[in-house]
Amino acid sequence: MSFLLRTRPLFVAMAIASLFGCANDPAPNEQLKLTEQAVAQATAVGATDDEPDMVTAQSKLTQAQAAMAKKSYKDARMLAEQAELDARLAEARELTEKSDEQLAQVNARLDRLRKQLGAAR
Amino acid sequence: MNRLPRVVSVCLLLGSAGLYGCAGHQNSERALQSASADFQKVKGDTNVLRSAPKDVIRAGELLAKAERLSGYAGSSDDVSHYAYLSSRYSAIAAEHSQLLLNQEKLARLELERQRLQLALREAKLSGAQQQGKWAQDQVISLSTQQSERGLVMTLGDMLFDTGRAELKSSANRTVLKVVQFLQFNPKRVVRIEGYTDSTGDSQENLQLSRDRAQAVADVLSDLGIEDERIQVEGYGDQFPVDVNSSERGRALNRRVEIVFSDEKGHLSAAR
Repeated sequence: MSFLLRTRPLFVAMAIASLFGCANDPAPNEQLKLTEQAVAQATAVGATDDEPDMVTAQSKLTQAQAAMAKKSYKDARMLAEQAELDARLAEARELTEKSDEQLAQVNARLDRLRKQLGAAR
Repeated sequence: MNRLPRVVSVCLLLGSAGLYGCAGHQNSERALQSASADFQKVKGDTNVLRSAPKDVIRAGELLAKAERLSGYAGSSDDVSHYAYLSSRYSAIAAEHSQLLLNQEKLARLELERQRLQLALREAKLSGAQQQGKWAQDQVISLSTQQSERGLVMTLGDMLFDTGRAELKSSANRTVLKVVQFLQFNPKRVVRIEGYTDSTGDSQENLQLSRDRAQAVADVLSDLGIEDERIQVEGYGDQFPVDVNSSERGRALNRRVEIVFSDEKGHLSAAR
């Protein structure tokens, strides 16, 4: 009996704690995974720290992970959501830049070809 | 006497809290306005609508969410957040649209390049035939040095004007031969090596040898050989094949060598 009495406050405290946890935002595990994928994908296409959005994405992801560890799930979710889009923008910028370079290359080749054709005729 | 400072400090505290709240609200207002402007811009761009409709829709949804939230007190963090996300989607949409435009342009230019390549090949072929005599055989010695360097073709000095890097049109036939050979042997790759005699500044010679090798590489590439199959090296006056003390020796030393890989694409190491 005395055992029960002593443990009851612990149960109550745990129940309250779990209720409190429920009232908070749920842990954004999926969003963090998504963000990590977006950052990995941007890295895979060649986005580096030269891309300011990539730096932002990485630092926000780190902050989101830290917020996860501290169980401040709302902050973690918001940071991760922003970081995901930062990474996707960095990826898109990188791809556009690459295609700009390709365009410049092809144009240079075309110039050379036209010049040669002019000389050959 | 004792109460006055406390009242003042409370007033200060309240005042600064009010200011802070105000600043947060102003920030979120500003974020909302710029998100709205970003969205209007992409929404009005038919190219963006065509190439990235989903991103534009997401930008619009998030903007609406931010606008809805801005009606509630104490929501400025959320408003800023959704406005930020909306702006990002607008920027992503614009970026995707630019990428697609570039790709379409690239496809058009690629067609143009193929057309010009074909025309150039025909022009060179007819030019080579008109020259009739095929007199370059003395210039080209397709020496079969099957040593450690593999198959090596030498383009003689006569194919270039003195001190210039551009190939003369008399090189057409040789170059066409090489192109044809490479097209029949799609796995083979080449290294084009430029050499000069020892007259003049060695740094300039190095540059000239590189430029001449590059000129040959450019022509091959213009005639349809993929850039990945062509390496370019300049060696200046190194590795002479004859003495530099005679006119004839110097002429032999001024050359471009094309080193062919074996059928599997293995190229001997550069010098």
